[in-house]
Amino acid sequence: MKLSKNFTNPLAANNPVIVQILGICSALAVTVKLEPALVMGLSVTFVTAFSNLVMSLLRNGVPSRIRIIVQLVVIATLVIVVDQFLRAFMYDVSKQLSVYVGLIITNCIVMGRVEAFALANKPWDSFVDGIANGLGYAFILVLVAFFRELFGSGTLFGFDVIARFGYENNSLMLFPPMALIIIGCIIWVHRTINKDLQEK
Amino acid sequence: MAINKNSNAYIIIYTVVMVVIVGTLLAFLATSLKDKQAANVLNEKKVSIMKAFGSAEENFDDVVTMGYITDGKFAEVDKADAVAVDAVFAKLADLKGLVAAENDFPIFKYEKDGAVKYVAPMAGKGLWGDIWGYVSLNVVEGKVQISGIVMDHAGETPGLGAEIATETWQKKFEGKAIYDAEGKFAVRMQKGGAQNEHQVDAITGGTKTCDGVNAMLASSIGKYEAFLASLTTAVEAAPAEADESAEEVANVEPTKVEEE
Repeated sequence: MKLSKNFTNPLAANNPVIVQILGICSALAVTVKLEPALVMGLSVTFVTAFSNLVMSLLRNGVPSRIRIIVQLVVIATLVIVVDQFLRAFMYDVSKQLSVYVGLIITNCIVMGRVEAFALANKPWDSFVDGIANGLGYAFILVLVAFFRELFGSGTLFGFDVIARFGYENNSLMLFPPMALIIIGCIIWVHRTINKDLQEK
Repeated sequence: MAINKNSNAYIIIYTVVMVVIVGTLLAFLATSLKDKQAANVLNEKKVSIMKAFGSAEENFDDVVTMGYITDGKFAEVDKADAVAVDAVFAKLADLKGLVAAENDFPIFKYEKDGAVKYVAPMAGKGLWGDIWGYVSLNVVEGKVQISGIVMDHAGETPGLGAEIATETWQKKFEGKAIYDAEGKFAVRMQKGGAQNEHQVDAITGGTKTCDGVNAMLASSIGKYEAFLASLTTAVEAAPAEADESAEEVANVEPTKVEEE
Protein backbone atom coordinates (compact mmCIF):
# COMPACT_ATOMS: atom_id res chain seq x y z
CA MET A 1 0.00 0.00 0.00
CA LYS A 2 1.27 3.43 -0.86
CA LEU A 3 2.29 5.52 2.12
CA SER A 4 0.35 8.62 1.09
CA LYS A 5 -2.84 6.66 0.63
CA ASN A 6 -2.10 4.91 3.88
CA PHE A 7 -2.13 8.33 5.48
CA THR A 8 -5.09 10.03 3.76
CA ASN A 9 -7.47 7.07 3.80
CA PRO A 10 -8.30 7.14 7.54
CA LEU A 11 -8.75 10.90 7.41
CA ALA A 12 -11.73 10.83 5.07
CA ALA A 13 -12.83 7.82 3.03
CA ASN A 14 -12.22 5.31 5.78
CA ASN A 15 -12.51 7.53 8.84
CA PRO A 16 -12.55 5.41 12.01
CA VAL A 17 -15.36 7.37 13.67
CA ILE A 18 -17.82 8.08 10.87
CA VAL A 19 -17.22 5.02 8.66
CA GLN A 20 -16.19 2.31 11.09
CA ILE A 21 -18.23 3.90 13.93
CA LEU A 22 -15.47 3.33 16.48
CA GLY A 23 -14.60 5.49 19.47
CA ILE A 24 -18.10 6.95 19.69
CA CYS A 25 -18.22 6.88 23.50
CA SER A 26 -15.51 9.48 24.04
CA ALA A 27 -16.69 11.44 21.01
CA LEU A 28 -19.92 12.04 22.89
CA ALA A 29 -18.30 12.81 26.21
CA VAL A 30 -15.47 15.24 25.54
CA THR A 31 -16.92 17.37 22.75
CA VAL A 32 -18.69 20.01 24.83
CA LYS A 33 -15.77 22.39 24.34
CA LEU A 34 -13.10 22.64 21.66
CA GLU A 35 -10.03 22.66 23.87
CA PRO A 36 -10.57 19.31 25.62
CA ALA A 37 -11.73 17.79 22.32
CA LEU A 38 -8.51 18.85 20.63
CA VAL A 39 -6.33 17.61 23.49
CA MET A 40 -8.25 14.33 23.55
CA GLY A 41 -7.80 13.92 19.80
CA LEU A 42 -4.07 14.54 20.03
CA SER A 43 -3.76 12.18 23.01
CA VAL A 44 -5.46 9.40 21.06
CA THR A 45 -3.22 10.17 18.07
CA PHE A 46 -0.16 9.77 20.29
CA VAL A 47 -1.44 6.46 21.65
CA THR A 48 -2.47 4.98 18.28
CA ALA A 49 0.81 6.06 16.67
CA PHE A 50 3.10 4.64 19.32
CA SER A 51 1.10 1.52 20.11
CA ASN A 52 1.18 0.73 16.39
CA LEU A 53 4.92 1.40 16.27
CA VAL A 54 5.76 -0.67 19.35
CA MET A 55 3.52 -3.59 18.38
CA SER A 56 4.90 -3.56 14.87
CA LEU A 57 8.44 -3.78 16.26
CA LEU A 58 7.40 -6.60 18.59
CA ARG A 59 5.22 -8.43 16.04
CA ASN A 60 7.70 -11.21 15.30
CA GLY A 61 8.47 -11.97 18.94
CA VAL A 62 5.03 -11.82 20.55
CA PRO A 63 3.65 -15.24 21.48
CA SER A 64 0.33 -15.39 19.64
CA ARG A 65 -1.43 -16.90 22.67
CA ILE A 66 -0.89 -13.77 24.79
CA ARG A 67 -0.98 -11.33 21.89
CA ILE A 68 -3.99 -9.39 23.16
CA ILE A 69 -2.56 -9.08 26.67
CA VAL A 70 0.71 -7.70 25.31
CA GLN A 71 -1.24 -5.19 23.23
CA LEU A 72 -3.21 -4.10 26.27
CA VAL A 73 -0.07 -3.63 28.34
CA VAL A 74 1.54 -1.51 25.63
CA ILE A 75 -1.60 0.60 25.12
CA ALA A 76 -2.22 1.00 28.85
CA THR A 77 1.37 2.12 29.38
CA LEU A 78 1.08 4.76 26.69
CA VAL A 79 -2.22 5.98 28.11
CA ILE A 80 -0.72 6.35 31.58
CA VAL A 81 2.16 8.31 30.06
CA VAL A 82 -0.35 10.69 28.41
CA ASP A 83 -2.38 10.98 31.61
CA GLN A 84 0.67 11.76 33.76
CA PHE A 85 1.90 14.38 31.31
CA LEU A 86 -1.49 16.07 31.09
CA ARG A 87 -1.69 16.22 34.87
CA ALA A 88 1.73 17.78 35.09
CA PHE A 89 1.57 20.23 32.20
CA MET A 90 -2.08 20.77 31.25
CA TYR A 91 -3.81 20.43 34.58
CA ASP A 92 -7.03 22.27 33.67
CA VAL A 93 -7.61 20.23 30.54
CA SER A 94 -6.81 16.99 32.33
CA LYS A 95 -9.49 17.86 34.86
CA GLN A 96 -12.04 18.46 32.13
CA LEU A 97 -11.19 15.20 30.42
CA SER A 98 -11.26 13.40 33.79
CA VAL A 99 -11.74 9.66 33.30
CA TYR A 100 -11.82 9.81 29.51
CA VAL A 101 -8.05 9.93 29.24
CA GLY A 102 -7.86 6.62 31.10
CA LEU A 103 -10.62 5.27 28.90
CA ILE A 104 -8.47 5.71 25.77
CA ILE A 105 -7.35 2.17 26.67
CA THR A 106 -10.80 0.92 25.74
CA ASN A 107 -11.04 3.00 22.57
CA CYS A 108 -11.66 0.48 19.82
CA ILE A 109 -9.64 2.48 17.30
CA VAL A 110 -6.40 1.89 19.18
CA MET A 111 -6.69 -1.86 19.54
CA GLY A 112 -8.39 -2.17 16.17
CA ARG A 113 -5.44 -0.63 14.36
CA VAL A 114 -2.92 -2.70 16.30
CA GLU A 115 -4.73 -5.94 15.47
CA ALA A 116 -5.66 -5.07 11.91
CA PHE A 117 -2.56 -3.23 10.79
CA ALA A 118 0.48 -3.13 13.05
CA LEU A 119 0.80 -6.90 13.49
CA ALA A 120 1.09 -7.38 9.73
CA ASN A 121 3.05 -4.32 8.63
CA LYS A 122 6.46 -2.71 8.98
CA PRO A 123 7.08 -0.19 11.83
CA TRP A 124 7.13 2.98 9.73
CA ASP A 125 3.93 2.11 7.85
CA SER A 126 2.27 1.21 11.15
CA PHE A 127 3.37 4.48 12.74
CA VAL A 128 1.89 6.50 9.86
CA ASP A 129 -1.30 4.44 9.99
CA GLY A 130 -1.57 5.17 13.73
CA ILE A 131 -1.11 8.90 13.26
CA ALA A 132 -3.63 8.98 10.40
CA ASN A 133 -6.29 7.11 12.34
CA GLY A 134 -5.71 9.23 15.42
CA LEU A 135 -6.02 12.40 13.37
CA GLY A 136 -9.15 11.06 11.67
CA TYR A 137 -10.64 10.62 15.12
CA ALA A 138 -9.38 14.02 16.29
CA PHE A 139 -10.86 15.72 13.22
CA ILE A 140 -14.36 14.42 13.94
CA LEU A 141 -14.05 15.32 17.63
CA VAL A 142 -13.02 18.87 16.83
CA LEU A 143 -15.78 19.19 14.24
CA VAL A 144 -18.45 18.04 16.71
CA ALA A 145 -16.99 20.22 19.48
CA PHE A 146 -17.01 23.21 17.12
CA PHE A 147 -20.78 23.02 16.67
CA ARG A 148 -21.48 22.14 20.28
CA GLU A 149 -19.37 24.92 21.77
CA LEU A 150 -20.53 27.49 19.22
CA PHE A 151 -24.24 26.89 19.71
CA GLY A 152 -24.13 25.60 23.29
CA SER A 153 -21.94 28.28 24.85
CA GLY A 154 -21.67 30.87 22.08
CA THR A 155 -17.88 30.63 22.22
CA LEU A 156 -14.96 29.03 20.37
CA PHE A 157 -11.91 28.00 22.42
CA GLY A 158 -13.49 30.05 25.21
CA PHE A 159 -13.59 33.25 23.13
CA ASP A 160 -16.94 34.93 22.82
CA VAL A 161 -18.07 34.59 19.21
CA ILE A 162 -21.81 34.89 18.79
CA ALA A 163 -23.01 35.48 22.35
CA ARG A 164 -22.27 39.20 21.93
CA PHE A 165 -24.86 39.41 19.17
CA GLY A 166 -27.56 38.48 21.63
CA TYR A 167 -27.38 34.76 20.95
CA GLU A 168 -29.23 32.78 23.58
CA ASN A 169 -27.21 29.67 24.51
CA ASN A 170 -28.90 26.41 23.57
CA SER A 171 -28.09 24.11 26.47
CA LEU A 172 -29.49 21.14 24.55
CA MET A 173 -26.23 21.29 22.57
CA LEU A 174 -24.32 20.54 25.78
CA PHE A 175 -26.07 17.21 26.34
CA PRO A 176 -24.49 14.00 24.96
CA PRO A 177 -27.45 13.08 22.68
CA MET A 178 -26.76 16.20 20.65
CA ALA A 179 -23.24 14.92 19.92
CA LEU A 180 -24.77 11.75 18.55
CA ILE A 181 -27.10 13.77 16.33
CA ILE A 182 -24.21 15.89 15.05
CA ILE A 183 -22.14 12.80 14.30
CA GLY A 184 -25.18 11.42 12.48
CA CYS A 185 -25.36 14.57 10.37
CA ILE A 186 -21.62 14.34 9.61
CA ILE A 187 -22.08 10.71 8.52
CA TRP A 188 -25.00 11.79 6.33
CA VAL A 189 -22.95 14.46 4.58
CA HIS A 190 -19.98 12.12 4.28
CA ARG A 191 -22.04 9.36 2.65
CA THR A 192 -23.68 11.81 0.29
CA ILE A 193 -20.22 12.77 -0.96
CA ASN A 194 -18.78 9.22 -0.93
CA LYS A 195 -21.51 7.35 -2.79
CA ASP A 196 -19.68 4.01 -2.61
CA LEU A 197 -20.29 3.94 1.15
CA GLN A 198 -24.07 3.97 0.76
CA GLU A 199 -25.74 0.66 1.53
CA LYS A 200 -28.05 -0.55 -1.21
CA MET B 1 17.69 -24.04 17.51
CA ALA B 2 14.41 -22.35 16.77
CA ILE B 3 12.55 -20.98 19.76
CA ASN B 4 9.04 -22.27 20.22
CA LYS B 5 7.14 -19.03 20.77
CA ASN B 6 4.11 -20.78 22.15
CA SER B 7 5.92 -22.80 24.79
CA ASN B 8 5.02 -21.99 28.38
CA ALA B 9 8.60 -21.11 29.27
CA TYR B 10 8.84 -18.55 26.46
CA ILE B 11 5.52 -16.97 27.39
CA ILE B 12 6.41 -16.71 31.07
CA ILE B 13 9.81 -15.18 30.38
CA TYR B 14 8.28 -12.82 27.81
CA THR B 15 5.64 -11.54 30.23
CA VAL B 16 8.07 -11.18 33.13
CA VAL B 17 10.51 -9.14 31.03
CA MET B 18 7.69 -7.02 29.63
CA VAL B 19 6.22 -6.27 33.05
CA VAL B 20 9.60 -5.35 34.52
CA ILE B 21 10.36 -2.95 31.66
CA VAL B 22 6.93 -1.32 31.72
CA GLY B 23 6.89 -1.13 35.52
CA THR B 24 10.30 0.55 35.67
CA LEU B 25 9.34 3.02 32.98
CA LEU B 26 6.09 4.05 34.63
CA ALA B 27 7.59 4.23 38.11
CA PHE B 28 10.31 6.50 36.79
CA LEU B 29 7.80 8.71 35.00
CA ALA B 30 5.45 8.97 37.98
CA THR B 31 8.25 9.90 40.35
CA SER B 32 9.74 12.51 38.07
CA LEU B 33 6.40 14.25 37.43
CA LYS B 34 5.08 13.97 40.99
CA ASP B 35 6.31 17.36 42.25
CA LYS B 36 4.91 19.18 39.25
CA GLN B 37 1.51 17.50 39.65
CA ALA B 38 1.36 18.23 43.38
CA ALA B 39 2.22 21.87 42.66
CA ASN B 40 -0.68 22.03 40.18
CA VAL B 41 -3.14 20.69 42.73
CA LEU B 42 -1.92 23.10 45.40
CA ASN B 43 -2.00 26.03 43.01
CA GLU B 44 -5.57 25.22 42.02
CA LYS B 45 -6.63 25.40 45.67
CA LYS B 46 -4.87 28.72 46.14
CA VAL B 47 -6.50 30.16 43.02
CA SER B 48 -9.94 29.00 44.21
CA ILE B 49 -9.40 30.60 47.60
CA MET B 50 -8.28 33.88 46.02
CA LYS B 51 -11.34 33.77 43.78
CA ALA B 52 -13.55 33.39 46.84
CA PHE B 53 -11.84 36.41 48.37
CA GLY B 54 -12.73 38.24 45.19
CA SER B 55 -9.16 39.16 44.33
CA ALA B 56 -7.99 36.54 41.88
CA GLU B 57 -5.29 38.86 40.57
CA GLU B 58 -3.40 38.91 43.86
CA ASN B 59 -0.86 36.34 44.93
CA PHE B 60 -2.10 33.98 47.63
CA ASP B 61 1.22 33.85 49.44
CA ASP B 62 1.42 37.63 49.75
CA VAL B 63 -1.92 38.45 51.32
CA VAL B 64 -3.33 35.33 52.96
CA THR B 65 -2.54 33.86 56.34
CA MET B 66 -3.94 30.52 57.34
CA GLY B 67 -4.79 28.72 60.50
CA TYR B 68 -7.31 26.63 62.35
CA ILE B 69 -10.47 27.37 64.23
CA THR B 70 -10.17 25.48 67.49
CA ASP B 71 -12.96 25.86 70.04
CA GLY B 72 -14.18 28.96 68.25
CA LYS B 73 -10.81 30.69 68.21
CA PHE B 74 -8.48 31.46 65.34
CA ALA B 75 -5.04 29.91 65.78
CA GLU B 76 -2.67 31.12 63.13
CA VAL B 77 -0.18 28.85 61.43
CA ASP B 78 3.27 30.26 60.81
CA LYS B 79 3.60 30.74 57.05
CA ALA B 80 7.32 30.08 57.19
CA ASP B 81 6.67 26.64 58.63
CA ALA B 82 6.32 24.58 55.46
CA VAL B 83 5.28 21.42 57.30
CA ALA B 84 2.43 23.17 59.11
CA VAL B 85 1.29 24.89 55.90
CA ASP B 86 1.28 21.57 54.08
CA ALA B 87 -0.80 20.14 56.91
CA VAL B 88 -3.49 22.80 56.37
CA PHE B 89 -3.68 22.04 52.65
CA ALA B 90 -3.61 18.32 53.34
CA LYS B 91 -6.84 18.86 55.26
CA LEU B 92 -8.38 20.49 52.20
CA ALA B 93 -7.56 17.41 50.16
CA ASP B 94 -10.11 15.50 52.21
CA LEU B 95 -13.06 17.89 52.30
CA LYS B 96 -15.51 15.24 53.43
CA GLY B 97 -13.38 14.29 56.41
CA LEU B 98 -13.06 17.97 57.13
CA VAL B 99 -16.77 18.59 57.33
CA ALA B 100 -17.20 15.50 59.51
CA ALA B 101 -14.47 16.65 61.92
CA GLU B 102 -15.30 17.99 65.38
CA ASN B 103 -12.59 20.62 65.73
CA ASP B 104 -9.54 22.23 64.10
CA PHE B 105 -11.23 23.54 60.97
CA PRO B 106 -8.84 25.19 58.55
CA ILE B 107 -9.50 28.81 57.70
CA PHE B 108 -7.84 31.42 55.52
CA LYS B 109 -7.58 35.04 56.48
CA TYR B 110 -7.21 37.86 53.99
CA GLU B 111 -6.03 41.15 55.33
CA LYS B 112 -5.35 44.26 53.32
CA ASP B 113 -5.79 47.97 54.06
CA GLY B 114 -7.69 47.13 57.22
CA ALA B 115 -10.20 44.88 55.44
CA VAL B 116 -10.44 41.39 56.87
CA LYS B 117 -12.14 38.43 55.22
CA TYR B 118 -12.13 34.78 56.07
CA VAL B 119 -12.45 31.84 53.70
CA ALA B 120 -13.83 28.53 54.86
CA PRO B 121 -13.88 25.33 52.80
CA MET B 122 -17.22 23.62 52.11
CA ALA B 123 -18.20 20.13 51.01
CA GLY B 124 -21.50 18.43 50.37
CA LYS B 125 -23.54 16.34 48.01
CA GLY B 126 -25.41 17.50 44.91
CA LEU B 127 -27.81 15.47 42.82
CA TRP B 128 -25.31 13.22 41.03
CA GLY B 129 -22.17 13.53 43.09
CA ASP B 130 -20.00 15.63 45.33
CA ILE B 131 -20.10 19.39 45.42
CA TRP B 132 -17.53 21.55 47.15
CA GLY B 133 -16.26 25.08 47.32
CA TYR B 134 -14.94 27.97 49.36
CA VAL B 135 -16.98 30.68 50.98
CA SER B 136 -15.54 34.04 51.94
CA LEU B 137 -17.11 35.74 54.96
CA ASN B 138 -16.73 39.19 56.43
CA VAL B 139 -18.52 41.33 58.96
CA VAL B 140 -20.45 44.35 57.73
CA GLU B 141 -22.51 46.47 60.15
CA GLY B 142 -22.26 43.79 62.79
CA LYS B 143 -23.57 41.07 60.52
CA VAL B 144 -21.63 38.17 59.11
CA GLN B 145 -22.16 38.12 55.39
CA ILE B 146 -20.90 36.27 52.36
CA SER B 147 -18.41 38.38 50.46
CA GLY B 148 -17.73 35.78 47.81
CA ILE B 149 -18.22 32.14 47.00
CA VAL B 150 -16.78 29.62 44.59
CA MET B 151 -18.35 26.24 44.03
CA ASP B 152 -17.55 23.27 41.89
CA HIS B 153 -19.11 19.88 41.31
CA ALA B 154 -18.23 16.41 40.15
CA GLY B 155 -21.11 15.81 37.75
CA GLU B 156 -24.20 17.98 38.09
CA THR B 157 -26.45 18.31 35.06
CA PRO B 158 -24.98 20.73 32.50
CA GLY B 159 -27.11 23.85 32.11
CA LEU B 160 -29.10 23.06 35.26
CA GLY B 161 -27.40 22.03 38.51
CA ALA B 162 -23.98 22.65 37.00
CA GLU B 163 -24.83 26.36 36.93
CA ILE B 164 -23.66 26.55 40.56
CA ALA B 165 -20.13 26.53 39.20
CA THR B 166 -20.74 29.65 37.10
CA GLU B 167 -19.94 33.18 38.13
CA THR B 168 -23.51 34.29 37.40
CA TRP B 169 -24.94 32.23 40.25
CA GLN B 170 -22.02 32.65 42.58
CA LYS B 171 -22.33 36.44 42.31
CA LYS B 172 -25.88 36.22 43.66
CA PHE B 173 -24.52 35.11 47.04
CA GLU B 174 -22.45 38.23 47.54
CA GLY B 175 -23.57 40.47 50.37
CA LYS B 176 -26.07 38.00 51.82
CA ALA B 177 -26.12 38.11 55.61
CA ILE B 178 -25.95 34.52 56.79
CA TYR B 179 -27.92 34.84 60.05
CA ASP B 180 -31.40 36.34 60.38
CA ALA B 181 -32.56 38.66 63.17
CA GLU B 182 -33.08 35.71 65.55
CA GLY B 183 -29.59 34.45 64.85
CA LYS B 184 -30.79 31.49 62.80
CA PHE B 185 -28.84 30.33 59.77
CA ALA B 186 -30.80 31.87 56.90
CA VAL B 187 -28.78 31.81 53.70
CA ARG B 188 -30.29 29.43 51.18
CA MET B 189 -31.19 29.01 47.54
CA GLN B 190 -34.94 29.50 47.47
CA LYS B 191 -37.20 27.88 44.93
CA GLY B 192 -39.45 30.45 43.30
CA GLY B 193 -37.04 33.32 43.86
CA ALA B 194 -35.49 35.05 46.85
CA GLN B 195 -38.12 35.98 49.46
CA ASN B 196 -35.88 38.00 51.77
CA GLU B 197 -32.43 39.50 52.05
CA HIS B 198 -30.85 36.20 53.06
CA GLN B 199 -32.07 34.16 50.14
CA VAL B 200 -30.71 33.54 46.69
CA ASP B 201 -32.75 32.49 43.65
CA ALA B 202 -32.64 28.75 43.15
CA ILE B 203 -31.83 27.33 39.74
CA THR B 204 -34.92 26.29 37.83
CA GLY B 205 -34.59 22.60 37.06
CA GLY B 206 -31.71 22.27 39.50
CA THR B 207 -33.71 21.97 42.70
CA LYS B 208 -31.90 18.91 44.02
CA THR B 209 -28.52 20.51 43.45
CA CYS B 210 -29.73 23.66 45.20
CA ASP B 211 -30.91 21.56 48.14
CA GLY B 212 -27.41 20.11 48.24
CA VAL B 213 -25.91 23.60 48.21
CA ASN B 214 -28.21 24.64 51.08
CA ALA B 215 -27.16 21.62 53.13
CA MET B 216 -23.52 22.26 52.31
CA LEU B 217 -23.71 25.92 53.35
CA ALA B 218 -25.48 25.08 56.60
CA SER B 219 -23.22 22.22 57.63
CA SER B 220 -19.93 23.73 56.51
CA ILE B 221 -20.45 27.27 57.77
CA GLY B 222 -22.04 25.76 60.89
CA LYS B 223 -18.64 24.42 61.85
CA TYR B 224 -17.40 27.99 62.18
CA GLU B 225 -20.43 29.28 64.06
CA ALA B 226 -18.73 29.95 67.40
CA PHE B 227 -15.91 31.76 65.67
CA LEU B 228 -18.28 33.87 63.57
CA ALA B 229 -20.31 34.72 66.66
CA SER B 230 -17.13 35.94 68.35
CA LEU B 231 -16.51 38.23 65.38
CA THR B 232 -19.88 39.96 65.70
CA THR B 233 -20.02 40.12 69.51
CA ALA B 234 -16.60 41.70 69.48
CA VAL B 235 -18.02 44.47 67.37
CA GLU B 236 -20.98 44.96 69.68
CA ALA B 237 -18.66 45.10 72.69
CA ALA B 238 -16.89 48.08 71.22
CA PRO B 239 -19.49 50.86 71.39
CA ALA B 240 -16.86 53.56 71.12
CA GLU B 241 -16.33 52.62 67.54
CA ALA B 242 -19.99 52.21 66.74
CA ASP B 243 -20.30 55.65 65.19
CA GLU B 244 -17.46 55.14 62.81
CA SER B 245 -18.01 54.01 59.30
CA ALA B 246 -19.46 50.58 58.84
CA GLU B 247 -16.42 49.53 56.93
CA GLU B 248 -14.13 50.09 59.87
CA VAL B 249 -16.44 48.63 62.46
CA ALA B 250 -16.68 45.56 60.35
CA ASN B 251 -13.01 45.06 60.37
CA VAL B 252 -12.26 45.23 64.07
CA GLU B 253 -10.33 42.17 64.96
CA PRO B 254 -11.84 40.10 67.74
CA THR B 255 -8.54 39.52 69.54
CA LYS B 256 -7.79 43.23 69.62
CA VAL B 257 -11.10 43.99 71.27
CA GLU B 258 -10.62 41.32 73.86
CA GLU B 259 -7.38 42.92 74.89
CA GLU B 260 -9.16 46.18 75.52
